[in-house]
Amino acid sequence: MSQLSVKGLAKAQQIYEDRQVYVRDVKAKGRKVMGYLCAYPALEMLTALDILPCRVLGNMHEPITKADAQVPAIICPMLRSMLDLGLKGKYGFLDGFVGAHSCDCGGSFCHLWDYNMKLPYHHFIDLPHVVHEDSFGFFKEGLKLFQKTLEEYMGKKIDPDRLKEEIRTHNRQRALVRQLYDLRKPTPPLLSGAENLKVVLALLCSPIEEGSRMLEEVIEQVKTRTDGPRKKGARLMLWGTPLTEVGLVEMMESLDANVVMDDICTGSRHFWDDVEITEDPLDGLAKRYLEDIKCPRTFRESQETYEQEQDCRFGYLLDYARDWKVDGVILQSMRYCDTHGYEVPTLKAFLDRQGLPNIYLEHEYSMVAEAPLKTRVEAFLEMIA
Amino acid sequence: MGEELKKKAMNRLQTRNVVRPMVNKMYSEGVVAGNEGRPVAWSMVNWWEGDLIMRTMGVTPVYPENFGTVCASDGIAQKYLGISDAEGFPTHLCGYARNTFGYSAEMRRLGQVPPDAPLGGMARPTFMLSSEGYCDARFKWFQALRHYWNVPVWTLVYPHPGPKEILAEGTNRTNVEYMKKELLKFVEFLENLLGKKMDWDLLAEKLDNQEKVFKVWWDVNELRKAKPCPLHSRDFWTLMVPCYYLAAEKEALEGYQAVYDEVKARVDAGIGAVENEKYRLLFSELPPWHSLGFFDKLAERGWNFVTESPGYHPPPPMELEGTNETLDRIARWTYWAFVWATIDAHKKGYPIVPGAQQYYNWAREYQIDGVLTHHLLTCRTATFWLTHAMNVIKDKLNIPGMAMEGDIVDLTVFDPSVPLNNAGPFEDTMEHYRQLRKEQGLAW
Repeated sequence: MSQLSVKGLAKAQQIYEDRQVYVRDVKAKGRKVMGYLCAYPALEMLTALDILPCRVLGNMHEPITKADAQVPAIICPMLRSMLDLGLKGKYGFLDGFVGAHSCDCGGSFCHLWDYNMKLPYHHFIDLPHVVHEDSFGFFKEGLKLFQKTLEEYMGKKIDPDRLKEEIRTHNRQRALVRQLYDLRKPTPPLLSGAENLKVVLALLCSPIEEGSRMLEEVIEQVKTRTDGPRKKGARLMLWGTPLTEVGLVEMMESLDANVVMDDICTGSRHFWDDVEITEDPLDGLAKRYLEDIKCPRTFRESQETYEQEQDCRFGYLLDYARDWKVDGVILQSMRYCDTHGYEVPTLKAFLDRQGLPNIYLEHEYSMVAEAPLKTRVEAFLEMIA
Repeated sequence: MGEELKKKAMNRLQTRNVVRPMVNKMYSEGVVAGNEGRPVAWSMVNWWEGDLIMRTMGVTPVYPENFGTVCASDGIAQKYLGISDAEGFPTHLCGYARNTFGYSAEMRRLGQVPPDAPLGGMARPTFMLSSEGYCDARFKWFQALRHYWNVPVWTLVYPHPGPKEILAEGTNRTNVEYMKKELLKFVEFLENLLGKKMDWDLLAEKLDNQEKVFKVWWDVNELRKAKPCPLHSRDFWTLMVPCYYLAAEKEALEGYQAVYDEVKARVDAGIGAVENEKYRLLFSELPPWHSLGFFDKLAERGWNFVTESPGYHPPPPMELEGTNETLDRIARWTYWAFVWATIDAHKKGYPIVPGAQQYYNWAREYQIDGVLTHHLLTCRTATFWLTHAMNVIKDKLNIPGMAMEGDIVDLTVFDPSVPLNNAGPFEDTMEHYRQLRKEQGLAW
């Protein structure tokens, strides 16, 4: 495996700037690289066959051109960007793609991607939105089908013990990510929000062992650093849609704020919860991937009262706010994300009830129009000062 | 003279008038049920998965999506959209949903159904029935409505296999079995909520009626393959309502039978829905409910819309195997509506084209000259595939498409002059591709 000459945060920076750092090595050794959508494909099943999973992301700095000939502009801008990059050949290194019915447009994207890219391997995991008792069995059948097509493509079986071992390996990385996030609990945080985001984005295209090694290096480095962020007036938590570049976070941290925690799809949501080791590993995978990922695409059952329902759906944010000493929450969402958009009034009502100042910030998944966003964040910071 | 021309250009069906009394009755039943304290459910369109079960249990469903079209046609929707915006809901959300948020906020504020609500409005819900089917709005919207209504929300499951999975061994049966288990849970939910047991014989009786409604309404739409096409999309959008919402009702069956007779008579006499059918078009997706008169202008040019987006059509006769158990049949019909186009294409040797399958199938079978797509600015589900569908139909069948932007509810984002001004050039395009199809050896 490529031994990058840099370590820790510098390594994360290098991978953040060039997501194919490890891809080239892996391909040169004859291994497969598979793209995937969102946090829902069970990555353990890929790594159990020595496949490098590489989450397909958009690029907030690249204008969308080719994708406009395939999808209208009112579709999720990140998905459009992902398709655009695919059509431009930027994901030409992929041997396959695993999609999931994460959200409606995400599911549609998977089929459109397959139609256009025609990769040697493509699989779509049908993921329920509800977490009823029968949904786990249904999803487990979906994972079995995924396993079957994967094994057929790779020409070898997934050994159940190897799968359990991969689950442990991924859980070790998840624990390291939680340790990484812990580094932002102190005042001032030892790590900036932008640095944290670069590290987790780097993990999304790194082999599991290399990624975990990088995390250990970062944690070690940051614990003893003297050049960390300075204390700012407000400690912020971000909630919402994926961020694939650090521009928005850097903008906030250029103001009188530290971004100390997140609940976003390319941040804590991707890594937070472990897979339970079960006798049949698919049971643990089904539970974690269907129920434990805290994305609004999953319908949490109605509770007796509206307040109880808010607590059930968003109560974990209070834990984050308490443990990371959050002063305010920024509900950021890219325009045209319906799953997050419908949450906004209920989430705001919940946060208001908890006395947590909050603001809804909708953006175009582009840093071109940064100024109005900055003005709104500035006003919010003045309000909570 | 202009008025006379307009009247002659589009030949509306007489029997479309069977729908109005049914719609009025549907709304008044909801109002009366609310006034009498009987259970009312705000329900998503669920492709018949939950409707029969609810009605058999004595629940009166009202449909906020349909209410959105009524409000749009009535003109009150703009008020409700404005209230929704003020309540903090993002403006890109589904227009029907925003209409409901605004309506709900207003109803809570007034403590009663708003006096200016059309058709008596929607009574306060006892519970809300959402669905995983198609768009995320179908369960997020009602979940968000908990902000106004402290009532339970049940979500019906709806598998979404891709084309490969639909054609793979065993997937369809697995999916239907899952749906069946969940339907039993839905029945249990209702039994607990309402304190009564399901009448399984009555449910089977309603299902029998529904299946007959599907058959007749399917056959009506098959007749539209005739030239000239006897039934314009404008009448389709009126006539689709009973199948969508009232398929268990005997009046729906009787109504469609009358429609079939009129449409068949037109086919036999060579009468078209447009006086001089020059072009046969497919319309996708939902129309601008607030501006349907726009189609009259196109009819004057000889544009006959002979079919439309598949999601609003009944399923064809059943081909999925299963048992005669009522819940098995209910699950299979809903699931069949989702998968049949792919299975049909596979049988006929058509290319498998995700997201555009039914458009491809029908473009061939209805011998379409052009596609007019209506990009709905607040409906990503409906709009996602439209550009791709146009590409597929043009690349594979030499049928051109034209796009226009608008919305189902928000009339401020639709400008009919744009497509009307483009109609002439598009006719030139359709003529050009007609020639290409001829050279390609296609039948039309």
